[in-house]
Amino acid sequence: MKMSSRARLGLLVGILAAAPLLSFASVAGASSQTPYQTGAANSGTPKSSTVVKGPGGSIVSYGNSAITYTVPSPALATLGQSLYLENCASCHGVNANGVPADGTSGAYPNLVGLGSATIDFWIESGRMPAANPRSVQAERRTPRLTHDQAVAIAAWINSLDPSYPAIPTPHLSGANVADGAALFALNCAACHTIEGDGDALAQGTYAPSLRNIPAAQVVEAIRTGPGNMPRFTGNLSDYQVRDIVAYVTEYLQHPKNPGGLGLGGLGPVAEGFVGLLIGVGLLALIGYWVGERQ
Amino acid sequence: MSTTSRKATPTSRYGKVGHVLNELDDRLGVAKGGRTFLDKIFPDHWSFMLGEIALYSFMVLMLTGVFLTFYYVPSQTVVTYNGSYLPLFGQHMSEAYASTVNLSFAVRGGLLMRQMHHWAADIFAGAIVVHMARVFFTGAFRKPRELNWTIGTTLLVLAIANGFLGYSLPDDLVSGTGIRIMFSIILSVPLVGTYLAFFLFGGNFPGTDILARFFILHVLVIPLIILGLVGAHLFLLVRQKHTQFPGPGRTETNVVGSPMFPVFMAKTTGFLMFVTGVIALLGAFAQINPIWQFGPYVASRISYAVQPDWYMGFLDGALRIFPAWEFTGFGHTIPLEVTLPAVIFPGILFTAVYAWPAIERRYTGDNELHNLLDRPHNRPKRTAAGVAVTMLLTMLFIASSTDVIANYFKVSLNTVLWAMRILVIVVPLLSYPLAYRIAKEMQGVAGVGKRKVTNVVVRTDDGEYIATPAPVYADDAHHELDPVPVPTFIEGAVETSGDDEAEFETTPGVRRVER
Repeated sequence: MKMSSRARLGLLVGILAAAPLLSFASVAGASSQTPYQTGAANSGTPKSSTVVKGPGGSIVSYGNSAITYTVPSPALATLGQSLYLENCASCHGVNANGVPADGTSGAYPNLVGLGSATIDFWIESGRMPAANPRSVQAERRTPRLTHDQAVAIAAWINSLDPSYPAIPTPHLSGANVADGAALFALNCAACHTIEGDGDALAQGTYAPSLRNIPAAQVVEAIRTGPGNMPRFTGNLSDYQVRDIVAYVTEYLQHPKNPGGLGLGGLGPVAEGFVGLLIGVGLLALIGYWVGERQ
Repeated sequence: MSTTSRKATPTSRYGKVGHVLNELDDRLGVAKGGRTFLDKIFPDHWSFMLGEIALYSFMVLMLTGVFLTFYYVPSQTVVTYNGSYLPLFGQHMSEAYASTVNLSFAVRGGLLMRQMHHWAADIFAGAIVVHMARVFFTGAFRKPRELNWTIGTTLLVLAIANGFLGYSLPDDLVSGTGIRIMFSIILSVPLVGTYLAFFLFGGNFPGTDILARFFILHVLVIPLIILGLVGAHLFLLVRQKHTQFPGPGRTETNVVGSPMFPVFMAKTTGFLMFVTGVIALLGAFAQINPIWQFGPYVASRISYAVQPDWYMGFLDGALRIFPAWEFTGFGHTIPLEVTLPAVIFPGILFTAVYAWPAIERRYTGDNELHNLLDRPHNRPKRTAAGVAVTMLLTMLFIASSTDVIANYFKVSLNTVLWAMRILVIVVPLLSYPLAYRIAKEMQGVAGVGKRKVTNVVVRTDDGEYIATPAPVYADDAHHELDPVPVPTFIEGAVETSGDDEAEFETTPGVRRVER
């Protein structure tokens, strides 16, 4: 097990400290960066070394060789505001703060300060504008707005209170799918199932299927935590997210199925039906054919 | 001189095979036993062939299983995978999992064998259940066949147990979860649970001995017991002779059917080919248990939507829908939400199955020998009880996929959970009187089970219509079969009557002999 020098120092301090303080001291010392803790490298917050700034000094993009986060251009904000007022304001309010106009009722999420990746994910996955605003969970469907329109709306909301993460672009070429598979099993399979089909959760909510999700939206979901999903920021680095996305898009979405028909990825439920109906059923029919019938 | 003596023997009439058989008979006396065996009469009603599906799929299980043992390593030693499947490359895993992935991808025909083995296991358990249902609903378990019912039930228990053990051997994420659940079920046994679980698993979960123990149980101990019991099952079947449906010429004291040779042997050999063929086709074209997608079992990982193989489904369903009850007191905690559905319930269920022939004998006071089968509708209470238990198990089986149902039909999981809790109780209670009524109705309907005959409608010159029923089909009319002496394959073994040879073969291939 490798330890950074600061962790070593922290451990040393911890050992030297009084017994009741031991655990506290070692945690405090190790807090710089471990794979399972939030830190600047993991959270989608820009690091000064990777930030690209525009002519006016505003951040245009940041990130690393695994994922580039692009801040939508402020020039799109005016277009974005008009699109927002047409498509979103009836619920989220004209100021995007979740307070609807006077005389209407409802409590909708405040969008200010969510980061442009969140806005882009909900619009580009077709969940917003919502088909049924009172449903337990907004359903994925054909997007009502184009990519450029989604970015424009994200630009306007981001201009109200610039925040992170920005819209990601994963670069999958150097990904390690084995790490991605292991991280997927550890972090994602508990809801989305190990085959990525998604499944029902409590009270009408569900983990959606991952079979048709574009790579960029997988990153957005991991980084922003839509709906019930936890927001994976601290415990996954950009490189780990990239590995997961590569595994999801290259293997889960295109299973090789060397064993024949995939049976819908439903596992033993489908296998049981095939085994009983086609296996035993067909053989019973053959027995009916071979044997006497009176 | 030797040539003349050889020519003098009767073997020349039957060629070289007959000669060899004759020589064998001279030394070992195989003629009598062989003759009895070849002349054994099988009433080959199609429903009697369901048990054969189980027998032949067990053969496939043994053959494919032996192949798999050449490559499978029952070890939980952690190794690093460096085979051809990229998403696992470099991952740490047990040797058991690595060897199963390797035998799937790197061994010629390995994946086919593994899939055939798994499909055969699903079909084996399914055929046993269907065969058992046939035996139950037709009353074939009655005296004198109670012992064979007991053996058959034990075979089902062993098939389920061995299926679970085999499912666990690859040590993938899904099967590891299954072992975890089984460990917890054993833990939940009051008082002795912890000792029992630690004894069986060689320590706490996840241990290092589990797979080695499961392996020896799966490939040696349980198959050996199954093999022995199958032998006893078939021996009793030959000894007691088959049951048969009531019908023309069939009585309690005779057997009507085809002789072992040549009719039944041809049929059953063909059926063996069909069983292996269907299993081979499934193994070749339908993917089962793609463990490479699941990854190795690691105690910190879990996948949602994990179901066991179908024959464990009723247990999984019972566990899923049972309310979270727990008893704490006297220094003990009994997790009733596990003990009741997963220990007590199957205990009661299988005790009832074992005891059913005795229960029915006590209830009906019927202590006679029975060789003729019941039509299910003629025993409405037994049929209704069987239907109710079948429906209970079916509902529990469906309850094992609550999440899949909720997700597929876009219903709340909580709704499905409560629906299943209600259905598990209501459906068996409703199906008993329903099945009882249907059986009663069927008793009252004239000609039920017979083919309908046409009515010939004639219009007279005056315009009157007269409907006359056509004559009944020849097969449906009641007629007696004459006992037919069985032919002699080996000359001199049995004296033939020779008198009524002209009356042989009234119905081709069907014979009737005294019990």
